[in-house]
Amino acid sequence: MSGAAPEHAALSPRRAVYLIARREFATRIRGKVFIIGTIVAVALLALYAVLQLAVIDRINTTTTFKVGFSGPATALAQPLEAAAPSLGFKVHVSDVATETEGRSEVRSGSIDALVEGAPGAPLVVVKTGIDPTLQGALVALAKQEVLSGDLSAAGLSPTAVESQVNAVSVSLDTLQPATAAQLQGPIIGFVMAFALYIFISIYGGVIGQGVVSEKASRVVEILLSTVRPGQLLLGKVVGIGLVGLIQLGIIALCGLLFTVPTGVLALPGAAIGAVLIGVMWFVLGFILYALMLAATASLVSRVEEVSSATVPVTMLLVVTWLLAYVVAIPAIDAVTGGGAVPHGLATLTAVLSLIPPFTPVLMSIRMAAGEVPLWQGLLSVVLVLASIVGVTWLGARIYANSILRFGARIKLTDALRRSS
Amino acid sequence: MVDRTLEIDRVSKRYAHVQALQELSFAVRPGELFGFVGPNGAGKTTTMRIVLGVLAADAGEVRWGGQPLTFASRTRIGYMPEERGLYPSMGVTEQLVYLAELHGMRVRDARAATARWLERLGLGDRGGEQLQKLSQGNQQRVQLAAALLFSPDVLVLDEPFSGLDPVAVDVMSDVLREQADAGISVLFSSHQLELVEQLCDRVGIIRAGSMLAAGSVEELRSGSAPRYWVDAPMAAAGWAETVPGAAVVRVEGSRTLVELPATTGDQVLLQAALATGPVREFRRDTPTLSELFRTVITEETAA
Repeated sequence: MSGAAPEHAALSPRRAVYLIARREFATRIRGKVFIIGTIVAVALLALYAVLQLAVIDRINTTTTFKVGFSGPATALAQPLEAAAPSLGFKVHVSDVATETEGRSEVRSGSIDALVEGAPGAPLVVVKTGIDPTLQGALVALAKQEVLSGDLSAAGLSPTAVESQVNAVSVSLDTLQPATAAQLQGPIIGFVMAFALYIFISIYGGVIGQGVVSEKASRVVEILLSTVRPGQLLLGKVVGIGLVGLIQLGIIALCGLLFTVPTGVLALPGAAIGAVLIGVMWFVLGFILYALMLAATASLVSRVEEVSSATVPVTMLLVVTWLLAYVVAIPAIDAVTGGGAVPHGLATLTAVLSLIPPFTPVLMSIRMAAGEVPLWQGLLSVVLVLASIVGVTWLGARIYANSILRFGARIKLTDALRRSS
Repeated sequence: MVDRTLEIDRVSKRYAHVQALQELSFAVRPGELFGFVGPNGAGKTTTMRIVLGVLAADAGEVRWGGQPLTFASRTRIGYMPEERGLYPSMGVTEQLVYLAELHGMRVRDARAATARWLERLGLGDRGGEQLQKLSQGNQQRVQLAAALLFSPDVLVLDEPFSGLDPVAVDVMSDVLREQADAGISVLFSSHQLELVEQLCDRVGIIRAGSMLAAGSVEELRSGSAPRYWVDAPMAAAGWAETVPGAAVVRVEGSRTLVELPATTGDQVLLQAALATGPVREFRRDTPTLSELFRTVITEETAA
């Protein structure tokens, strides 16, 4: 058998990582998390879009009030018709010959309201109640009627006064004009940060499970006889991360397809920058957390123990999300809302967002809002990259020292020691 | 031709409270089947893991062809760990091809080798199935294929025979013999001493992290004091004690197993036996590996 041994190329580290990543990818893309997760997410999105459409439809179909006028109040009919569109409703006015006839029409429901009496003090007859919008409109018209009468009595032209009043406005001097990106940015940043949180939770879990199931099935011993622990770790993170990104891409694309036509979320060109920044933080954040999750997962030998072993890392993720919710988002809301940001809050957000485990989520929110100075942005990327290098080294060490020790959970301090 | 001997040279390894290996040394020559025997916890698995680089030694060196084993040269070792393990829900062919690629094979060669080995091990039609759908014995065959299919230069197999049915034992034996005949160094551990005796060119007996004896079974025998079966039906109990230095090992009916020091000739014993009456049997005992093993282990314990 060995006479015609095929040539063996030494396995380069890159090829080792590639092969491992490829296996993970091929396995996970056929897995439950991917297939069922994608289907459920897309179905939920579709449901959401349908619901949104229904809501928008309801808003668009403006109500029509049928209002009958009788006697002197008929003078209000024309102004009401004129005012209706700006108040967001339609009105169908009709003349009613007598009050009695009008009242019976109200009772039968063929008109919604009967307006009678003097235009300055009309009596409105309704069956059970009156729509507040319609009531407001009628009150305003009656007031105007009174005002016009008084103006005429004072020898002024009501039309002239009215046009003068209408010309009054507040001049606006916007110091920081909001761009489209700034308006969309916080929403996109928020959505991306939330997606990152969910994504790390799900796919980080998949990585933890993968690490321990390799350990539990003991296949890891064969693997480690030909690849280094660091390569195995990295290959897993890359392969599973890619599957996650593809799933996310599919969901995002479906989301756009569903929502753009309905107008729920418009995606102007400027917002694409925010999305790209988000994707960058996605990749960096995922690698950082996945490495930590894989290393801590390797401390245990049974799949059921994974979630308890990875608690420190998942807690860190929850803390990050809380910080985003409590600190970063209010600070950004204040900026884009044009209000003054409490000074401490802005500083706190800036400082927190430069601490590597918090960076991916907080920076994707801050950057999407467009309020990050260039040096902070670059510094945060450098810090996260450096911590990825550190975590790879540390994680590979924990992993290498734990992966062949079966049975009871291994203490982190033991796993970090040089010799196992 | 380059020397392709696998040398384990004064390797030591300490776990938290146990000295697992104490300056362990031995060598496996090319084309040799080396059987590694010893009680549980003697350090066999630790040794194999160190050879594979899965564990790091505290001291000592593992060499192949005179050079210390590197990460790259280790990928030329076929390994079957004590704890069997492959991916349970992955297809048989799929994971064998994957493992071969991890050992540096190109995908086409990997596929060909996988098909060839599955055929050879009687699993030709099972390649498409998930590993966990196979019987325990067949999973073991897949495990062997995983160790062999990239045409390794060295085979390290931890308990390859455990859990095999007799047919599978024959298949495994044939494959190992064939690999050794092709010039590969084969190191394997086993508790089935008869099998080791029958199969191996050389045997190493390890206990508490040290090699007690290593060599062919013949050599191991020559190292022990000669023993003789004597059937003298008329002899009274204790007849052999008249011979200087002789010790009775065992008495079975009229037969007595006597151990003589090398300095006492066997004719002295025969004459002592004849002095008691007729002698029906007088035969040099060739101890089996199991007996040698027990002797070596107990001697060391007593020492």
